Amino acid sequence: MSEALFFQEMTEEQKYEQFMKRINAGEKIEADDWMPEDYRMTLIKLISMHGISEIMGALPEKEWVPKAPSLKRKLGIMAKVQDEMGHGQLLLRVAEDLMKPLGKTREDIMQDLFSGKLKFHNVFHMEAPTWGDAGLIGWLVDGAAIITQTNMLNASYGPYARALKRICAEEVFHAQHGEAIIMALAEGTEEQKVMVQEAVNRWWEALLMFFGPGDASTTGTSKQDTTIKYRIRTKTNEDLRQDFFTKYIPRVLSLGLKLPDETMHFDQDQELWVYRQPDWNKFKDIIKNNGPKSQERLGLRRKAYETNKWVHEALNTAN
Amino acid sequence: MGNEGFYQEFEVFSQRTDTSPLQYQFSLLAPNRELALVMAQENFMRREPVADIWIVKRSDIRKLAPEEKQSLQRLDNKDYRTTKGYGYLKKKWRHYEQEMLDEKEILSWGGMKKGD
Repeated sequence: MSEALFFQEMTEEQKYEQFMKRINAGEKIEADDWMPEDYRMTLIKLISMHGISEIMGALPEKEWVPKAPSLKRKLGIMAKVQDEMGHGQLLLRVAEDLMKPLGKTREDIMQDLFSGKLKFHNVFHMEAPTWGDAGLIGWLVDGAAIITQTNMLNASYGPYARALKRICAEEVFHAQHGEAIIMALAEGTEEQKVMVQEAVNRWWEALLMFFGPGDASTTGTSKQDTTIKYRIRTKTNEDLRQDFFTKYIPRVLSLGLKLPDETMHFDQDQELWVYRQPDWNKFKDIIKNNGPKSQERLGLRRKAYETNKWVHEALNTAN
Repeated sequence: MGNEGFYQEFEVFSQRTDTSPLQYQFSLLAPNRELALVMAQENFMRREPVADIWIVKRSDIRKLAPEEKQSLQRLDNKDYRTTKGYGYLKKKWRHYEQEMLDEKEILSWGGMKKGD
């Protein structure tokens, strides 16, 4: 009790010590609890990037809503696009509560996205030229997202863990929605089979990059040590990439698809997948908004923001 | 026009069925209560069945500060408030050749008429 009563009188070191004791005991930190500055900043960076990626991620998929091959597929992909926007809103709320003491709001998040200060996931800078890509995004990109997100279901920050619980439940639907599209194509005509294989080839490198570099030596910075120290996540980027391989490679092969990396194999001695590294310089370039679709999608987001501004203004007057 | 103050924070609660308790969902940003209600349904009720939705402006909620939460810790001497403190009656009723009317038994009565 005395520890709590004298919280105001505690030194920063004592507060830090108590904070670490709490998270190591599995307690959850809430938005108005004391937290170390780098914990707050790491969470803001991680969660605003995650949230805005959900929103930017809806854009390659929404391209396929008018072109879906049947009404059933159209309804399915529309539901998925709506979910992604919903996930974005959940996550932005979590980030906004963390930014509040810094005097920042959703407006700052949007402006940071437009200025390039706030990055979004590498996969959402890529093209989705065929229906095979639409299916592959659901199956493997959402599959990769499930691997990274379930890794944080027990995150020390309570609001993020709660948001992820909701999100992961819906991601299961997304993955199955993607599987349904891919299986229909993989069991279809020769042309359809080629379409899936080409989608796999196109997305392979982006999927490897999705988990981030193995360590800071690749790209200069890495937050993974901080997020592990603060019990936001447990596994490293490489652990997650290996988990992804173990879960998905057998499934990819079982559908008669080929891996675009002929060097790839499972090393029984090391119990690791051996694979060709993607071009990490390309990765750095893509997330700086220099990917094939970066500017077009940012432009779309900006346009939606600007053309809908009158609604804000009208409602503001009404209030 | 600044967006400072355009959005308000709302907390969302919902009831799954008429008999279930109100459950906290999450928070959202909306410019007013009417839109908050619409967004609550769109954001949180896309699949689950729902019988009612409440939205509450966050600024209207008085919640505990982190330090105040410490006062919630209970002392471990509240047996007299719970059935646990009266568990010994079971043995005594057995002595009188009667079954004890415990919580499970009492809550099973639920207004049932003879022959139902």
